[in-house]
Amino acid sequence: MISPVKIWRRQKKVRELLGRTAQVLTYTNVVVPPLAQKSFAPYVVVLVEFEDKTRAVGQLVDTHEIKIGDTVVSILRKVREPSDDGVIAYGVKFKKIP
Amino acid sequence: MKPTIIGYYTTRFGELWDLSLTDLLREASFGALESAGIEKTELDAVVVSNMLSGILENNLHMSSKMAEILDLHIPMYRVEAACASGAMAVQVACQYVAARPGSTVLVVGAEKMNDYAPEQVSTALTAAASGEEQESGLTFPGLYGMMARAYLEQYHFEESVLAHPSFQNHAHGALNDNAHFQRPVSLEAISKSALVADPLRVLHSSPISDGAAAVIITSKPVKQGATIAACEVATDSISLKHRKSLVSIEATQIAARLAFEQAGLTPSDIHVAEVHDCFANAQLMAMEDLGFWSTGTAGSRIVEHETMIGNGGSLIVNPSGGLKAAGHPVGATGIKQVGEIYLQLMNKAGKRQVRNAQAGLAHNVGGSGGTAVVTILVNQ
Repeated sequence: MISPVKIWRRQKKVRELLGRTAQVLTYTNVVVPPLAQKSFAPYVVVLVEFEDKTRAVGQLVDTHEIKIGDTVVSILRKVREPSDDGVIAYGVKFKKIP
Repeated sequence: MKPTIIGYYTTRFGELWDLSLTDLLREASFGALESAGIEKTELDAVVVSNMLSGILENNLHMSSKMAEILDLHIPMYRVEAACASGAMAVQVACQYVAARPGSTVLVVGAEKMNDYAPEQVSTALTAAASGEEQESGLTFPGLYGMMARAYLEQYHFEESVLAHPSFQNHAHGALNDNAHFQRPVSLEAISKSALVADPLRVLHSSPISDGAAAVIITSKPVKQGATIAACEVATDSISLKHRKSLVSIEATQIAARLAFEQAGLTPSDIHVAEVHDCFANAQLMAMEDLGFWSTGTAGSRIVEHETMIGNGGSLIVNPSGGLKAAGHPVGATGIKQVGEIYLQLMNKAGKRQVRNAQAGLAHNVGGSGGTAVVTILVNQ
């Protein structure tokens, strides 16, 4: 279950992950989503590696065209349906760099 | 005295609308007791495995529910390790009977999944993934889809190789009266089925099943049974991003190495194996990680169908139909895998009997590789 406090705690860490470029290590296109992401489906999720070798997973925005080795940048987006209390959850997604 | 399996029972796997979780646990438990030819009062403990009832049914305190089903007051333990819950329960039972020589334990696992919409089940299953993975909208097909994409790219295989594990498992499922799906499926139908999480399709994926399975394990001297030569667990990070490799499961490699050492056997000594094929690429990785095939070759070897019943191979894989065709009631799966190897060693596997099976292996994975259990059984 999601709670406003959980969203708040998580979002404190999001800032340091934004605006960084990364390489796509692998990806998938999710056709059958979980409930919290139903409105986004179908969507591509990428597993990426930043320059400092740390890694992250997140959805790709604006396109479904991606391949292993492509470069992406991390951006702030809504990541799930709001909690029952109406708190909007923001998190990291990725945008392809041409 | 090594732990010995003296009885096994599995319910039918599938869409069992008229049976509850309690009905399934009861049927499997008393079925296993009857198979072993013992009374419930001869049990010293029970280990019960289940993943989803707490999330889906608001149903926990499984130890006490089992006590009510069996009308006993002995110690009962509930074990949860996502899709590896079943084999983890077997491992806990092995520890118990080893610590208390002369004791006997019932291991029973069940899952009730079809009462809920696929999105609800899919969401509940993602409880076994990291918070970051859940927030990204990754499902289990999504996580295995990522590993499948990486595998195909790294070893230069076409997507068509992914059809072969399902093709083989469905052929075997047709020989198993308890399987969720008891019909062969063509390679073409598999490769043309709907996408779930690219490159994985519906027919590359294990189904949502109801079902239960149970074994009786003892450290008493017995006349008949299959000896558990080894049952080893290994773990890894919950997050796919923290794994060393995206094309293999290190927890499987570690558990397999420990299990073969403990049993004093090598992969070439195994005649029959049940490997964790939640998705087609999971079976490819399993064949490599367990040491049956060398790294990067499963994509080319699987198309030869050498591990299918009737093709004369020295190792038969997933005679039950695997998770794909026999079904995947999460808490029951690992116990069914061990039970299938027991049936094969006892020469009780009917139409799908592997000839002269003397040593067998069961391989159960939790999550995207965060837990792996490898169990090796040998004839007494």
